[in-house]
Amino acid sequence: MGKRWINRIAVGILWACGLMTVVALGAVILYVFVRGIGQITPEFIFTKPHGVNAEGGIGPTIVATIYVTGLSMLIVTPVAVLAAVYLAEYAVQGRLVNAIRFAADTLASVPSIVMGLFGFAFFVEAMGLGFSVLSGALALSFLMLPIVMRATEEAIRAVPKYIRWGSYGLGASKWQTVSRIVLPAALPRILTGIILAMGRAVGETAVVIFTMGQAIYMPILPTDPGRSMTVHLYTLAMEGINIEAAYGTALLLMIMVLFFNLTARWLAARNRRLQG
Amino acid sequence: MTEPLEPRIVPPDAPGPGTPGASVPGRIGGALKMMSRATYIKEAALKNLFLACAIAAVAGVALIFVFTAARGWTVVEDPGLAAFLGGTEWSATLGRFGILPLVTGTFAVTIGALLLGAPLAVGTAIFLSEIASPRMRAIVRPAVEMLAGVPSVVFGFFGLVIVRPFVAEITGGMGFGTLSASLILAIMIVPTIATLTEDALRSVVPGIREASYAMGATTWQTIYKVLLPAAKIGIIDAIILGMGRAIGETMAVVMVAGNAPQFFKGLGAPIATITSQIVIDMSYASGTHRTALFGLAIILFLISMGLVALVRALSRLNARRS
Amino acid sequence: MALTGCSGADGREEVIVSGSTTLLPIAEVSGEMFAEEHEGVSVLVSGMGSSAGIESVSSGSSDIGTSSRELKEAEEAIGLADNPVAYDAIAVIVHPDNPVRELSTIDVRAIFSGVITNWSQVGGPDLDIGLVNRDEASGTREAFSKIVMGDAQFDRGAVVLPGTGQVRAVVSEVPGAIGYISLGFVTDEVRAVAIDGVEPSEEAVVAGTYPVQRVLHFFTKGEVAEWTAEYIRFVLSPTVQETVVRDAGFIPITAKEALGD
Repeated sequence: MGKRWINRIAVGILWACGLMTVVALGAVILYVFVRGIGQITPEFIFTKPHGVNAEGGIGPTIVATIYVTGLSMLIVTPVAVLAAVYLAEYAVQGRLVNAIRFAADTLASVPSIVMGLFGFAFFVEAMGLGFSVLSGALALSFLMLPIVMRATEEAIRAVPKYIRWGSYGLGASKWQTVSRIVLPAALPRILTGIILAMGRAVGETAVVIFTMGQAIYMPILPTDPGRSMTVHLYTLAMEGINIEAAYGTALLLMIMVLFFNLTARWLAARNRRLQG
Repeated sequence: MTEPLEPRIVPPDAPGPGTPGASVPGRIGGALKMMSRATYIKEAALKNLFLACAIAAVAGVALIFVFTAARGWTVVEDPGLAAFLGGTEWSATLGRFGILPLVTGTFAVTIGALLLGAPLAVGTAIFLSEIASPRMRAIVRPAVEMLAGVPSVVFGFFGLVIVRPFVAEITGGMGFGTLSASLILAIMIVPTIATLTEDALRSVVPGIREASYAMGATTWQTIYKVLLPAAKIGIIDAIILGMGRAIGETMAVVMVAGNAPQFFKGLGAPIATITSQIVIDMSYASGTHRTALFGLAIILFLISMGLVALVRALSRLNARRS
Repeated sequence: MALTGCSGADGREEVIVSGSTTLLPIAEVSGEMFAEEHEGVSVLVSGMGSSAGIESVSSGSSDIGTSSRELKEAEEAIGLADNPVAYDAIAVIVHPDNPVRELSTIDVRAIFSGVITNWSQVGGPDLDIGLVNRDEASGTREAFSKIVMGDAQFDRGAVVLPGTGQVRAVVSEVPGAIGYISLGFVTDEVRAVAIDGVEPSEEAVVAGTYPVQRVLHFFTKGEVAEWTAEYIRFVLSPTVQETVVRDAGFIPITAKEALGD
């Protein structure tokens, strides 16, 4: 029958779509892995690049990446969580809330190059912070704010209402309820959102290149400059002279991102299991 | 979306005795409750703190816009709005900053990415939502999510070492250009479009599927004639957001596009986009050149904000209809 | 910009070097080596461009101004002392299978400005020319433009790549491609053509017969501080010249001295 044949072909095509996506991911990961694994030695991870062609390791870039990501999470988490508390617990539908949501959506879709230029003009130059981990972290936190806000808001909304009512029934104030009951209950999901946001921050290039700079330097104070792994990969790939180091950097970068992603997934799955 | 039924804090009715700590009657959720003045003040202060944090998002957006615009403002005078927006030549050495070649470059690369990526993404989403067994779903969905997490430099790198030589073989040129950039961007926007499309498909009323199958429709007929039309707005939203992602993507494009600010000359000819030009030029630009780059940044910002507004408007339309 | 030490506290000597980005690899690496050998001395290097370097050494804010170009007329009057540290020769490269082995400067200019678009016009096969250019921030492009292009503009449709290795890789893979890189980076993957009849080689550069070359300078002004002079001597020593300078793709200035000053 005509419709059965069409159905079979269509379903086949849809299968192909699903598989193609998996293959695309597999190709990227596999290629980076195969070409890069040879580079991963303790020397590569811990020593600094030296010489004209960045021989040696990428230690400072790993430190810079972790440093700027951690710092930006420290900056953004309180603001994002409290903002989400407002949206979930106190806000009433209206123009203000609409404006806030529109702003959060816009912030989430600002191209990272625009964020990088803004970060350069505002943090590096206008505020005089110069190329530093701090400038990078502040710029990244703008990018991360909507992600953590949304995750926290969903987490808070997922807390069952009867828990709150029980708390109010016992005479607790709103703040006591939120801080002692709701937030702790929402914590696993909030944490998942934060970890996912960190994975995203690790992969950013355009933002950090204009705020943290390109100097190969082991940052110690937040005011020190640094080069993140993504910027290093970009530089190596474009220079084209030390392609092996580029593969090694790409592989370590992928491992870091996968670590964050898989941790978040594991946390989410564990949370689902515990909440039955 | 209904707001949760929460007790609202209402100030105590009467100013009350002057001694701090004394309890005064105050309403919570319509019922009188005793709360101390101190608690009321604290609660109100906290609420305002949270409000301030929420407004941070709005303040952030405003700050970005104002600052970037301030830096790029002088393009209106030099080289002048007409020369900037309508100019056909972008050359720093000649002092010409016409954005048209860059705009057409962004356009070409985005259209290419959508043509290649949107069908694949929607197909994957339909597969996940309607056809895949739970075991397949457990493989494919994580794959889509992990694809979303791959940093754009890694995609660009992959494009540089694998895609470019491949395209060079096919087109006979050097492989830098619209085709390479579109291929890489297509893979990058698949996760964005696929996850949102899957959400849209899931939110279609479940009974519709059963009704369709009960009438003897095949899976494909159900998908094509019933589900896709029902989820139409959600899918359009997904594609618009994917488009936004493609327009704003920088690093992957700059590594495979060839960075030649000229009008579209073929799939294998080098091309520059708004984003790639900013990154390449920023390291040494000064004076008019730099303000022109900030002008480009503002244009990008306005485009992405416009797309967000479009998506929100469409969603409101959708909500009103259902 | 890399900072290789902390800023001057008591007892720390500093040599402040600023200027050309082309010279950055030499200055940075040799500066690091110098600091390692001499306890208490640090060499601070930054790269803002040749013009900025000349300006800062004239005003006294740096000890050494590095430059990948000659002094302009106005700058001659300042009375800077020139310490040439390396030669930079630019090789025009093509795919190894390309039969064209020689081009005149005029041909090269015509090719890179887009006037000549097919190899058959310069004695080669009927194959479209694939132009590979460097980005505008590149010192190599700056030099190439000045020496070869003169007033002519680069073809707008050329692929722009921000890296030497990139240019080399693309030219080695695409049969019709042509590009330019520092002579020191030419490998067997590509072929460097002779310009105006002269094969690019170290000898031709030193003898001055290969046209596409320039000198890289360390400029100083007036009385030179002890450590600055020591650093310059270090950079001119075989330790640096044979390793760092060559690694960076340049030709040691000392090669000329081998022929007798």
